[in-house]
Amino acid sequence: MAMDIEAARRTPPKEVVVRVRRYDPETKKTWWQEFKVEARRGMTVLDALLKIKEEQDHTLVLRYSCRQGICGSCGMVINGTPRLACQTQLAEVASEARPVITVEPLYNFPVIRDLVTNFTEFFNKHRSVKPYLIRKDKEEQENPKGQYDMFPDEYYQIYQYSSCVYCGLCYAACPVVAADPQFLGPQALMYALRFVNDVRDEAWGERLIMVDTEHGCHRCHFAASCSAVCPKAVDPAGAIQALRSKVFKYRLHLFKRRVSKVIGPPPEKGERVPLPPEATLLPGVDLKKLEQEPVVIQLPPE
Amino acid sequence: MAGRASNIQLWQYITAILLIGLLGFHLLERVPWIWGLSTIDQTLTAAFVYHGYTSYGWALLLLAYVALFHGLNGVRGMLLELRQGRLYTTTINVLFWIVFIVFAAIATLTVAKLPPY
Amino acid sequence: MSEGEVAEKKNSLGFWRSSINPWAVRTKDNPERLAFVFHRISGFLIIAFLLAHILETDSPVWSQLIYHVNGWTFWNHLMAIEAGLAFRVGEFIIAGAVLFHAPNGIRLLLSEFFGVGIGRPGDPKPPYVPGTFTASQRTWLYAVFVVWIALWIFAGIIIFT
Ligand code: SF4
Ligand code: SF4
Ligand code: FES
Repeated sequence: MAMDIEAARRTPPKEVVVRVRRYDPETKKTWWQEFKVEARRGMTVLDALLKIKEEQDHTLVLRYSCRQGICGSCGMVINGTPRLACQTQLAEVASEARPVITVEPLYNFPVIRDLVTNFTEFFNKHRSVKPYLIRKDKEEQENPKGQYDMFPDEYYQIYQYSSCVYCGLCYAACPVVAADPQFLGPQALMYALRFVNDVRDEAWGERLIMVDTEHGCHRCHFAASCSAVCPKAVDPAGAIQALRSKVFKYRLHLFKRRVSKVIGPPPEKGERVPLPPEATLLPGVDLKKLEQEPVVIQLPPE
Repeated sequence: MAGRASNIQLWQYITAILLIGLLGFHLLERVPWIWGLSTIDQTLTAAFVYHGYTSYGWALLLLAYVALFHGLNGVRGMLLELRQGRLYTTTINVLFWIVFIVFAAIATLTVAKLPPY
Repeated sequence: MSEGEVAEKKNSLGFWRSSINPWAVRTKDNPERLAFVFHRISGFLIIAFLLAHILETDSPVWSQLIYHVNGWTFWNHLMAIEAGLAFRVGEFIIAGAVLFHAPNGIRLLLSEFFGVGIGRPGDPKPPYVPGTFTASQRTWLYAVFVVWIALWIFAGIIIFT
């Protein structure tokens, strides 16, 4: 989801009402519980939930780790939108006019307790597309002697997809996953494309056949909700359409792409890689001097 | 599994391309001003419709086949999302072909056995 | 996880809610989802109409076999019934469905089958707007809505005058 970068500078309402949809597996009860939290500037939904857990109700269960949108474990449905709790400012979702936010466990995942959901199925689907490099030369793959070459434009064919943090927000937003539990889902399909696009990989045929099922890429209807909620702009919706057109190309024997070659061994540790002859230095930069003195970056005063 | 899903999906897109042209033409048939008429009802008279069948009946027949395939396959996709399971999936796939063949046969009859005006 | 039975709770929105309600999940900047719901509903309307339409257009043939009348006389009789207001409103709705399904279908054909209009993968930076949302398919989608309404009004003029 496109971030509201300015939200952290705005002040949320003084007191925010957090409505949490809770679930207790022992009694199988689901209920909405309201908590009042004193909000301050810069406070995220995760902060608010942790504050509730510390000060009001220790039994509230949620999953989080990094608090900075990297680990992908704090996905939850906030005000009806799947989002990362640690990346959602209270100021973004609550306003003076409506200081109430609702927090639910991620849709389309079975709920274990309160806000914690079961990702087993999600990761199984991810694994099912073989998310690792496969080379035809097994000997080379197991005992590599060199590195694979890759050009910048080829790198950009996979870079965006590799920034997926497995948060499952896309999976929670997808209308097809909601209906069809066998559908591979945006994340797994996007990852299949990530390896189909990777010039270092040679198993595209295998993967393109793998997603070519009634519950694979053809079930996606380009509702693009997955892209709309993805916190990293991985854009699974676009990826799936690209993947699908590649499936058709492959089936019509039109699919072609380069496979990277193994080039010489990586440089020894400590060995200098010479600058290419066409490289030019910025005016005023002295390489020799740079090597001797460490670069000190001056931070602007607060 | 019998065949890959892309076999039938490929036809879904081929029929889509055909439909753009064929259905476009079929809809233009009902725009009265093109034919020098003034209301849609005048394009639906027996004489006008009969004339259409005799001059480009093949196009209308092709349109019926293509639209049936595209539409029924779309419904089939929705039904496969609605529920899963081996027996269910097979039933849906068989039903798809039965309905397609029955209605395609009816459409063929229309053009083949059309009474003279 | 505790010993014994783990009572997890299913938490899916299900087929009907996600197929009919474009706001079942509240996503921002996501007209594609609206288009998906419209595409699905209009497609369903069209196939229902198509089956009826094939039977209707076959009436000059079957009326001969069943009612032993002149097929074209029967056709004119049928058309006289269908000139009624209820049928015209029905036709108008089907026209709307077709006129949305077709332009949106062209957009889907281009992006799903030919893989164009969805942008290229790049280097996402904050505020993290996905490439597909700034690519040409989005422009096409807005065009689809405009073309749809324009053609539908045109169809309305033809059907109701
Ligand atoms: S684009 Fe496809 S995978 Fe993404 S939300 Fe839509 S249907 Fe699901
Ligand atoms: S594609 Fe985006 S939304 Fe989906 S799991 Fe990866 S980071 Fe999360
Ligand atoms: S806690 Fe790691 S992504 Fe939110």
